[in-house]
Amino acid sequence: MILLKLTWRSLWNRRISVILTLISIAISVSLLLGVEYIRKEAKSSFLSTISGTDLVVGARSGPVQLLLYSVFRIGNATNNIGWDTYQTIADNKRVDWTITLSLGDSHLGYRVLGTNQDYFKHYRYADKRLLAFEHGKPFGSVYEAVLGSEVAKTLGYTLDRKITLSHGAGATSFSEHKNKPFTVVGILKPTGTPIDRTVHVTLEGIEAIHIDWQAGAPVAGFEISAEKAAKMNLQPEVITAFLVGLKSRSATFRLQREINDYRQEPLLAVVPGVALSELWQSIGQFEVVLRIITIFVLVAGLLGMLTTLLSTLNERRREMAILRAVGAYPWQIFLLFLLEAFLIAVLGCLLGCLMVFIGVLLAQPWVTAEYGLHLRTWLPGWDDAKLIVLITIAAVIFSTLPALIAYRRTLQDGLTVKI
Amino acid sequence: MNIVELDQLRYRWQGQSKDILHIPELNIAQGEHVFLRGESGSGKTTLLNLLAGILTPSDGHIRLLEHDFHHASSMKRDRFRADHMGVIFQQFNLLPYLSATENVTLPCHFSARRRDKSGDTEQSAIQLLDHLQLDESLRNSMVTSLSVGQQQRVAVARALIGQPEIIIADEPTSALDTGTRDRFIELLFSKAEAQKSTIIFVSHDPHIAEHFPRVIELSEINKAL
Repeated sequence: MILLKLTWRSLWNRRISVILTLISIAISVSLLLGVEYIRKEAKSSFLSTISGTDLVVGARSGPVQLLLYSVFRIGNATNNIGWDTYQTIADNKRVDWTITLSLGDSHLGYRVLGTNQDYFKHYRYADKRLLAFEHGKPFGSVYEAVLGSEVAKTLGYTLDRKITLSHGAGATSFSEHKNKPFTVVGILKPTGTPIDRTVHVTLEGIEAIHIDWQAGAPVAGFEISAEKAAKMNLQPEVITAFLVGLKSRSATFRLQREINDYRQEPLLAVVPGVALSELWQSIGQFEVVLRIITIFVLVAGLLGMLTTLLSTLNERRREMAILRAVGAYPWQIFLLFLLEAFLIAVLGCLLGCLMVFIGVLLAQPWVTAEYGLHLRTWLPGWDDAKLIVLITIAAVIFSTLPALIAYRRTLQDGLTVKI
Repeated sequence: MNIVELDQLRYRWQGQSKDILHIPELNIAQGEHVFLRGESGSGKTTLLNLLAGILTPSDGHIRLLEHDFHHASSMKRDRFRADHMGVIFQQFNLLPYLSATENVTLPCHFSARRRDKSGDTEQSAIQLLDHLQLDESLRNSMVTSLSVGQQQRVAVARALIGQPEIIIADEPTSALDTGTRDRFIELLFSKAEAQKSTIIFVSHDPHIAEHFPRVIELSEINKAL
C-alpha cells in the first residue's frame, strides 16, 4: 500500500513530465483503438452497400467485376443481357421482384443508372434500409431523373432543374444527348453508398435518348424529337444487369445455379454478400498497413515513456537511497518503477479511450450529414480490452529496464549517495 | 550489553589486493553516544555501509544487538536495518513529495516492529516533531519549503520513530551553521537518551567531538591505513 502511495505522490511531484507522457500514450492508444474502430466501421459500411438483394445477375464475367459495375458503378460491363433473357428469369415463380440496371451514360462524371420503379421499392442498403427522399419523389415519366445526394449537393442542383446526359462515363464527353433533357424530380437522402453519386433515370429514358443512335453515335439526318420518342415503343432490347429478390431465400443457390447454367446466353449470378466479402478481401490490404502504422505509433509512445522513466533515474537516485535507508527492500524499489509504468499505462489507456469516445461522439452528426454513414457510438469491446491489457503489459515490460537499473544502483549506492 | 561488536573486520573492494578497512576490535555499548571521526578516505563510508548491512565484510565478524550480522542474507540485513536502525544523512534526507509528518512515519510502513513500538504512528510523529521544536504549522507543509536545519530535525524524528536501537548519523550537521548545529546535537542527544538509542555519529569535523563522551579516531582503529 505504501508503495502505491509513494508511486502516486512521486508521479504527482513530477506531474508535468508525467502528464506529457500520459498524453503521448493516450494519443497512441486512441490512434490504435480509433483505427480499429474505423476499420470495422469501414468494413461494415462496405458490406452494407447492398442488402436485401438475393442475387445480382449480369453477363458472364468475374463476380468481383460484376459487383463493381452493378453496385459500385466502377468500370464497365463487358457485355449486356438480352431483354427476353431478363424476362424469362423475372417470370420465374421463385422471383419476388427484380430491379433492372442499365449503365453507360453519365452526367458531368456521375454515372447514370437506368432503372425501374422497383428500385425505390426494393433496393435496400445497410440494415435493410430503403431509399428515402430528401426532396421530391420517384420518377414517373420518361424524361424524369432522381439524383443521389452527393450529385445534388456538389452540382448545386435543386428540383425542376433540367439536365442533359452524356454518352459514356467520362466527365467530358463529346457526344451529348442535348436534344432530350431530363428534369430532376427527386433528390435522395445520403446513404453512404455509391447511390449518392448516381443519377437515376427510367429505363425508357435511356432507350429514348438512344433511339436515334446507331453503334454509339447519333445517326445524321435521322433525328427524333423528345416528344416523338416518348411515344414510341421504348422497351429496351438489352440491359446491363439486374438485381433479384426472391420469395424465399432458401431458393437462392438453386436459382443461382439455374442462371449460371442458362443455355441461351452466358450469364453470371452472384450472391452479393459473398461477392462483397471477396471484394473486401482483395482491397482489404490497407487494413494491414493501418495496423502496422498504429503499432509503430504505440511503440513510439511506449519508448517515450521509457525515455521519461530513464531520464528521471538520476534525479531519483537520492529518493531510492532514502527509501533503502528507511527499510525498503531492493525489490520494492524495483516494484516502484513497475507500478509507476503500470499506472501511467492504465491512465494513458483510459484517457485514450475517452478521447476515442468523445471523438466519435463529435464526429457522428457530421459524418451522418456529410456521408450518410451511421457511425455506431464507440464503446470498448472485448478486442479493445485485450488491446489495453496488452499495452499495459508492454509498458510494464518496457519499465523493467529502468527498474533494473534502479535496482542495481540501489544495491551499489547503499546509504551514501553523493549528490 | 554491547550493541556493536566488531572482531577482526576486514573489507576490500572486489579485485583489489589491499584492504581498505581492517578493524581488529571495536565495541559500542547500548546507549553510548559515539563520535567516529575520520577524514575522507579513512574508510568512514565503508564502515557505515558495513554497519548498515549494505556491504558484507570480506572477513571477520560483525555482531549487532548480539546477533551475528556478517552471515545474514541481504534480505535479513535489510530487515534488520528497517527494524533496528535510524539513518540520518548529511543532506536531502527527505522525500520531497511527502509532508514532514509523512516523512517521519515512513519507517513504520516498512517495519512492523517500529510501527508497533510507535503506537499511534501519526501521533508519535507529531510528538517527536514537537520535541525537536519543529513549528506546528510546518508539520503538514511540503518538506521542500523547510530550511536545511528544519529538514535535518525532521530527519532526526524519522530516525527516532519506533525507537530503533541504533542511530547512524552520517555528517548530519555539515550543512548547518554552528548555532543550529549545537542545538541539533543537543536535541538529538536528549531524544536518543529518552529512548535509550545508541548514536553512532560520523564526521570529519573535530569541533563536534566536545559534545560526545566517547570519541573514536578512525585512523587509530583502522589498521589498513
